[in-house]
Amino acid sequence: MEIFLQQLVNGLTLGSLYALIAVGYTVVYGIVQLINFAHGEVFMIGAFGALATYLLLFQGQTALWILPIMIIGAMIASVGTAVLMERVAYRPLRNAPRLAPLITAIGISVFLQEFVRLFFDKVPGTDFPSAKAKIPFPQIDVVTGRAFHPMEGVTIQRAAIFTVAMLLLSAVGLWWFVNKTKLGRGMQAVSQDPDTARLMGINVDRIIVVAFAVGAALAAIAGVAQGLQITNVNFKMGFIAGLKAFTAAVLGGIGNIQGAVVGGLVLGLAEAFITQYTGMLPDPFGQFGGSSWKDVWAFALLIVILVFRPQGLLGAKVVDRA
Amino acid sequence: MNLPTLPDTLREQHSGKGWPLALVGSLLLLVSGLLSWSFDPSILGDISIAFWPASLQLFAMILGAVGVLLALMHRGPLHRLGDWFDTALGLRALGTGSLLFVVFSLVAIASEAGGLVNVNPGGWLALAGALLLTVGARFVPQRQLNSFAKAKANPVLEIVVIVLGMAAILFGAAYVLGRDDPWIFVGFLVMAAVAFMALARAGFFTWMSHVAQRHRHVLTLAAFVVAFLFPFTQDGSDANMSIATQVLIFAATAIGLNIVVGLAGLLDLGYIAFLGSGAYVGAMMSNAASATIGWKPPFIVVMLIGACVAATLGLIIGSPTLRVSGDYLAIVTLAFGEIFRLSMFNLDGNNGPDLTNGPNGIPGIPDLNLFGFDFGKPHTVFGIQLGRFSNYYFILLLLIGFIILVFTRLNNSRIGRGWVAIREDERAAEAMGVNTFGLKLLGFAVGAFLAGLAGTIKAHQDTAASPDQYIFLESAFLLAAVVLGGMGTVAGVLIGATILKLLPEKLRFFSEYRLLLFGLLLVIMMRVRPEGLIASKRRQLEFHEDDEELAQEVQADHLIDAAPEAAR
Amino acid sequence: MTVIDTEVQDGRARPQRGAKVLDAEQVTMRFGGLVAVNKVDFDVHEGEIVGLIGPNGAGKTTFFNCLTGMYKPTSGTVKFYGEVLPPKPRAVVKAGMARTFQNIRLFGNMTALENVMVGRYCRTTSGAITSVLHGPKYRREEAESRSRAQELLDFVGLGKSSELLARNMPYGDQRRLEIARALATDPKLILLDEPTAGMNPLETQQAMDLIFKIRDQGLAVVVIEHDMRFIFQLCDRVLCLVRGEALVWGTPGEVQSDPRVVEAYIGGSELEDDEDEVQA
Repeated sequence: MEIFLQQLVNGLTLGSLYALIAVGYTVVYGIVQLINFAHGEVFMIGAFGALATYLLLFQGQTALWILPIMIIGAMIASVGTAVLMERVAYRPLRNAPRLAPLITAIGISVFLQEFVRLFFDKVPGTDFPSAKAKIPFPQIDVVTGRAFHPMEGVTIQRAAIFTVAMLLLSAVGLWWFVNKTKLGRGMQAVSQDPDTARLMGINVDRIIVVAFAVGAALAAIAGVAQGLQITNVNFKMGFIAGLKAFTAAVLGGIGNIQGAVVGGLVLGLAEAFITQYTGMLPDPFGQFGGSSWKDVWAFALLIVILVFRPQGLLGAKVVDRA
Repeated sequence: MNLPTLPDTLREQHSGKGWPLALVGSLLLLVSGLLSWSFDPSILGDISIAFWPASLQLFAMILGAVGVLLALMHRGPLHRLGDWFDTALGLRALGTGSLLFVVFSLVAIASEAGGLVNVNPGGWLALAGALLLTVGARFVPQRQLNSFAKAKANPVLEIVVIVLGMAAILFGAAYVLGRDDPWIFVGFLVMAAVAFMALARAGFFTWMSHVAQRHRHVLTLAAFVVAFLFPFTQDGSDANMSIATQVLIFAATAIGLNIVVGLAGLLDLGYIAFLGSGAYVGAMMSNAASATIGWKPPFIVVMLIGACVAATLGLIIGSPTLRVSGDYLAIVTLAFGEIFRLSMFNLDGNNGPDLTNGPNGIPGIPDLNLFGFDFGKPHTVFGIQLGRFSNYYFILLLLIGFIILVFTRLNNSRIGRGWVAIREDERAAEAMGVNTFGLKLLGFAVGAFLAGLAGTIKAHQDTAASPDQYIFLESAFLLAAVVLGGMGTVAGVLIGATILKLLPEKLRFFSEYRLLLFGLLLVIMMRVRPEGLIASKRRQLEFHEDDEELAQEVQADHLIDAAPEAAR
Repeated sequence: MTVIDTEVQDGRARPQRGAKVLDAEQVTMRFGGLVAVNKVDFDVHEGEIVGLIGPNGAGKTTFFNCLTGMYKPTSGTVKFYGEVLPPKPRAVVKAGMARTFQNIRLFGNMTALENVMVGRYCRTTSGAITSVLHGPKYRREEAESRSRAQELLDFVGLGKSSELLARNMPYGDQRRLEIARALATDPKLILLDEPTAGMNPLETQQAMDLIFKIRDQGLAVVVIEHDMRFIFQLCDRVLCLVRGEALVWGTPGEVQSDPRVVEAYIGGSELEDDEDEVQA
């Protein structure tokens, strides 16, 4: 029972993180039918943006009020990166064969990782540590520190609660944005029929930028949450996180925003439980459990979902992926 | 490479003056190489002695010689050739490029010796020559050209040109690999690129492609002879041969990937896993102390087993193509690739059965020994010593020859046509009775088989197999070679692989930024030239679906590389 | 509507009707609650041209897809030479049924000859190994494919265009090329989906001649068309589908004179042009 509850907690935390990133894939896909594989790097850059903000302004402090400013710093970095990549790399390829944006995304992904690795410590006027190794992430009062033990054998990290809370907050904010603002309704219109939307006077290019920006903002929050949780950041953190979040987006039905949240949570739970319970099987099989096989199971899940349920749990926009 | 063109009236007014200017400029470039370029004998391979051209001086002379050749083809003793080659365009490209090269050289001298004071008259003369050539070429009028399709073939001349071209490539490759000074290395590349551009603008390579079609077998044979001779130019030095073998392995794998990506049109982001599975099979069945399988069959058998294991994996990885395609398929292959790496990392006895020794991998793999020929020992042939890497170089050459054969023959067969049809319109292909699923699987399997073959050799050459050699970035790197060189072509991928492997090896300052630049390269290529440097015409058409001009330009004979071969 | 004497037809002698090629019995196709095709009977014999007409949304395309194996009918059977084919396009082609597409789907970046050679794919079997080794089987099949493809291009009148890229060909030629590609699969039955869509009267006439020529080879032909005059001149029998039901199924004369057909078409909207043409 404790094991089950513990994995439930782990799964929900992990899932919240995936969900926050997955929204970025899904929003962009809903608008331009493009899978932005470089989105994982946007998440990574968010974490580094938060770190940079902290190192520049608040080094050595731990007060809670710093956190919102760090999140804003993270968002500036992520949103800037995402908007720039849309403008420079993706927009010119909008009518190109599908292979082109995909290869571009791989290029962007590698470029951004390397850019952070090589140049984080070379930002002029700062003495940032080199990003070639892991960099410790600042610890903030209230959201990090001593964990809770609601019962014997179950641990809940403070950062985990923060992550789940941020997901809830973001989900509400996103719902409000999509349904209650003019831009959000514009997004809905474009995702249903871009040509008609354009005829109705909606600036489709701007809506696409907004979609990239919204996804990036949530990825930035995820970046901060991840930093707080595992207490360090590194330039490679976006790759696997991005892939898993993509799986979550597909699982929820790509293009479907609620789906991304549900998909993220389901994937997080599935990963936690499969890893835990495979490890408890009798030995020839039990060897395939535990943390060293965790990512293998996640990837296997990804394959199974992409192959057998590409339309996701909640249904995707019609996909003709030929 | 082109400055804005001049108004026609201006050009007509002065058309008579352009040619002498260009000729004089070229001659100056040629002569400048014989003069001293710098006071300082210690830099850039000593360019201080008159009548003893070295490095940059030589390069300038080559450019000058190309210039003289083009100028004489325009007017003068070779003017009849000018009816076929666009000498004006060639001279213009050469002018701009030479200027670039000379400026680069002067910067090199200035930065190595400390300031432009150290430049001797020879350097300034080269600059003057390049300037004259640039200005003169602007005024050289273009002539009416004949089409090469109508040219009468002169087989002897053509074969001589092929042989000379190949010899130049051999000599250039041997020379450039021997340079350790990055300035000279880059200078050579700049010179080669300029000469290449000038000849390309003049239509030389269009002619070459006609020649190549007529003398396919001669060309192939010449290329292999040149590649075969290459180790003999290295004087027993293993440093360059080590790079050369790495380039060969990389190129062989990239051509295999090009079957999947370029021919079958499927994006495989986990391709490195096939090379890895071949390498692991090679390692596990080798005589290494830590090999985990007791059975040690002859290497030929190991190769086949490695290839078959890889092909089986290929079938497994390819099987989702029944249900998914496009982006999703790419991600599925990526996931398979990562699963492979993680499994190799984990199967150490504690996490699952002991197959791979986990993160430590299988070290200490002994050298190959085929029919008593020990690949680890140097051998002396014709008095020239060939080291360990030369031995591997030869076997890899055989392998790459085989892979190229598979690539081109499949491309021109019924199967190749099926692949094109699938790329064009999968549903229509299916409705015409093409076995789309089977053909896609075949693409995966063949690609994997070839990579598996390469992997077994790689294990012995590297003397170790470990999981960190087979990360996703390596797959992306292979893909970059294909994208840079050209999807669906062999020559393109050879060039792409060479550039991507050679540059970081030779330019140490560059290797730190290797991945950064190659990420950027992918983005730029997709934007500027998605079909790659040496494009397959068909791929070019596919990437430019709305370019009607291009479609009109492309004649059928560009598409069918060796169609008549089958009919013969 | 003028009655056209369909019996005379260019004075061509109609070949003897051969064995039954295709036999559809009580074919029904439902999508959820929607009945797209309802209990339709249909059959085609060797050496026969059969037309399929009906206003837009009548279920022509759905029925066509049931015949070609793209869909498996909800109930009823489609038999090809007495056998039910599996609902796989490839198996259907292999059995001897080929089709063209309403909106031309050629392989644009292949030459005309290559397009037709793709059609030969299902009649050749050389695999990867013989292709790489250039084994005797490969050489034989490749030469055979090439000459057969050229023969078919000559047959449809494109013999001189074999080296042109399909996308560079004029529209009418593309339609012919599609027919040649379908013929390359050695079909016993060929289904043409609006073969004259977008053609001028001269091209339409040429297309009709070509279809007769195909029929004269002993093939069975099914044509979906909007152009009524074309259908009535061309076909031996015509099936008129309306709202998924077989309204009339008989000779062109019977179909033409049936008041329900006229009503269905006037009730529908899109055929005014065609009617004008019929009267002209």
